[in-house]
Amino acid sequence: MKIAINREYLTGYLFISPTTVALLLLVIYPIVYGIVISVFNTNLINKWDFVGFKYFIDTLFSGRFHQSLAATFHFTFFTVIGNFIVGVTLAVILNKNLPFSTFFKTVLIVPWLFPEVVVGLLWKWMFNSIYGIINHFLSLVNIIDQPVTWLGNPDTAPWAIVITAIWKGYPIVMIFVLAGLQTIPRELYEAANLDGASKIQTFFFITIPMIKPILLVTLVLETVWWLKHFTLIWLLTQGGPVNATNVVSISIFRSAFESFRFGQASATAVLVFFICIFISKLYKTLISENE
Amino acid sequence: MNRKIKFENIFCYFILLIMTAIVVIPVAWMFSTSIKDMDEIFALPPKWIPEKPSLDAYNRIWNQYPFGQYFLNSIIVVGGATIISLVFSSLSGYGLSRFNFKGKEWFLTFLIINQMFPSIMLLIPYFSVMKSLGLINTYAGLIFCYTSFTIPFCTWMMFGYFKSIPKDLDDAARLDGCSRLQILRLILLPLSLPGLFATGIYSVIVGWNEYMFSLILTTTDPMKTFAVGIGQLIGEYRIAWNDLMAASLIGSVPVIILFLYFQRYLISGLISGAVKS
Repeated sequence: MKIAINREYLTGYLFISPTTVALLLLVIYPIVYGIVISVFNTNLINKWDFVGFKYFIDTLFSGRFHQSLAATFHFTFFTVIGNFIVGVTLAVILNKNLPFSTFFKTVLIVPWLFPEVVVGLLWKWMFNSIYGIINHFLSLVNIIDQPVTWLGNPDTAPWAIVITAIWKGYPIVMIFVLAGLQTIPRELYEAANLDGASKIQTFFFITIPMIKPILLVTLVLETVWWLKHFTLIWLLTQGGPVNATNVVSISIFRSAFESFRFGQASATAVLVFFICIFISKLYKTLISENE
Repeated sequence: MNRKIKFENIFCYFILLIMTAIVVIPVAWMFSTSIKDMDEIFALPPKWIPEKPSLDAYNRIWNQYPFGQYFLNSIIVVGGATIISLVFSSLSGYGLSRFNFKGKEWFLTFLIINQMFPSIMLLIPYFSVMKSLGLINTYAGLIFCYTSFTIPFCTWMMFGYFKSIPKDLDDAARLDGCSRLQILRLILLPLSLPGLFATGIYSVIVGWNEYMFSLILTTTDPMKTFAVGIGQLIGEYRIAWNDLMAASLIGSVPVIILFLYFQRYLISGLISGAVKS
């Protein structure tokens, strides 16, 4: 019997070994190496001066980092909220299975399928202050009388990237929540109906509790995804104007590949990693407290 | 009561139509831009239907820009990464779904934690390692890189599909003298073909979408992927929006069709992968 178990262990290990080796080489090793870089003043070629935790301390106390964290949280917070409002609303409507639901569902998924680069370029063109369709439309309905330089103004640029990210990102929330809604048995609603519960009551006392697990998973994934997002912002504003959209991933990218301060950039990346872990831990505590 | 339901449905359709417009208008604008000439792009006020529509931009992206090469690079890199992640994730998904072993839970958790790593944290080490191994500007470098993004989630997806196939089938095949690999190849994979497709498409979408790593890991024009190639056009002084939008559409439509064709399988796979985590 014991030999049989050992054999099973071994066969199991054998099958997961390629993936394990790949992940050790492609994920674990680079991460460790990244942590090593973060304690050196280095150009990655021939200069390796050990500086200890200097970069971590510098970063933690630098106003630039705080500003960039603030930009990141602003972007992540409003993007995730927007994705949830749009995604959940659409999922609830689609779940009613009205005629043409399938058609609408297919069309509404489409933004998620466009590559990020394409979405970034498309919105950059639409936000163009002179020839862009957005200013044109807003002036047609008399919301604005002067063209807005959406991406060139530190007050509007953070909102422009949020709007773009919501357009690109809501479908995944919609898909996940819709799948959650479809697992709720119809009988529950019928019972509630017989008991005289109103629509709003059913929504808050049946629908929400039933899809809570999937809502929480989506929330964690969404937060982490957008917290480390790079492409859309890079294409739309490159972190500008005057650092208004300089989120941490842009800031790290620039200090590594424009200023060649690899140690500094790696230290910031490690700090961001801890922030990601902290946030997912925070959510986990919230989840277990709720249960 | 009936009137109330009717009103509610009208309201729902209203929201659906508004959102559909918000999705369709940018895409239509993209198409409209792609069939204009330079004068009409910069015409005021913007026009939806150009006076002399032409498909010149769709010709130019092949003749005046190296988009043929960019697409080819993307196809090679994404294809290679997808095949590798399918092989690896089928093996590990099979191992996870059929055997009990120490550290299994730990392994599954590790796959999920992968989603938490800020990808920018990997970028600098990758750049350094690839540089010293001479893998900058090679297909291999990019393939390794993309594989690292897709293997963890693909494993979760394959694990989910295999778990839904009863183990009795394995036992029967064992009695008939099949080896473990034969069972995987001859019985499980054919049965989970939709799952395999879905996992593959997930990997294609991720790879096709990737920008930041290929931006750093390719420096010469002949090695650039579609995403990098199109992204760099934005830096030009007078942006040729018509060519840009034509290339955008050409680069997006195949993936969209692929997805819509397999969406049923892909969505269930994505969700089972995400929720179990």
